[in-house]
Amino acid sequence: MSDRTLGFQYATPAQQREASTLGMWTFLATEVLFLGTLVAAYLNYRIYHPHEIIEAARHTKIVLGTANTGVLLTSSACMAMAVRSVDDQARRSAVWWLLATALLGILFVAIKGYEYFEEFQEHLVPALNFDFTRYGPVGELFFTWYFAVTGFHAVHLVIGIVIVLIAAGLLAADRFPDTMSVRIIGLYWHFVDIVWIFLFPLIYLAGRAH
Amino acid sequence: MSRATIWRCWLALVLLLTATTASAFVPLGAFNLVVSLVIAITKALIVLLFFMELSASRALVRAFAAAGFFWLLIMIVLTGADYWHRTDVRAPIDMTTSY
Repeated sequence: MSDRTLGFQYATPAQQREASTLGMWTFLATEVLFLGTLVAAYLNYRIYHPHEIIEAARHTKIVLGTANTGVLLTSSACMAMAVRSVDDQARRSAVWWLLATALLGILFVAIKGYEYFEEFQEHLVPALNFDFTRYGPVGELFFTWYFAVTGFHAVHLVIGIVIVLIAAGLLAADRFPDTMSVRIIGLYWHFVDIVWIFLFPLIYLAGRAH
Repeated sequence: MSRATIWRCWLALVLLLTATTASAFVPLGAFNLVVSLVIAITKALIVLLFFMELSASRALVRAFAAAGFFWLLIMIVLTGADYWHRTDVRAPIDMTTSY
């Protein structure tokens, strides 16, 4: 697993590892900017409509949101354990840690889905059933942003879950290709976790003390 | 990274999560946002330095990792320089409320 076949363009395995690491970080830099625009948008909304945004954010489900953050942080620890296991040449344990990571990811998506269901019942979904008279125009602005940003995050997570499951399957069958790396998959997974770390206070913690 | 380090990081992350949620219910005014963002940055640094192994990476890898966040900072500051200082010409998002 760690003795990967060397690509013809590389002099040493270390150089090959660093090239793929830099490639992933370059991709993640574009992701920082993609999801960062939504964070920048939120900061502008918050400065323009401080009270209304906070009022709208209080309709989010803080218990589910906090639980989900815990789930995602734990999944990252499992992913780090999978990388550790690969380094130790412990294939079986790497498979189990990858499965644990994917399962926690699926749990996150399930909780998120239940949250969307509750929000639908409270008429908080713009374009579907938003109660304009009850939550107002800035409320609609906030929830449009909320569904866009959590939706994009969920799409990233689902892609991560699929990749982690494929990696676990290939590893279990001892057919893990040289072109794949659990460590690089881990970088992507941890990045999706970091995005949520910033979304969590912006979405769920605004205006709780008022 | 050792198994012990991984789970110590996990414990720190969960404790910080508890702290940030608890702090949200303490009335601090605008400082609620500041406290929660400082905790978020701390959590992100733990993930970046340990889980994403930047603490053990070469400077080149760290520079690649920092570049994305640095550019994000430029984007937020330049957007803010426009939106946050408009007085006479209002931004389109002002149309969403009537003053």
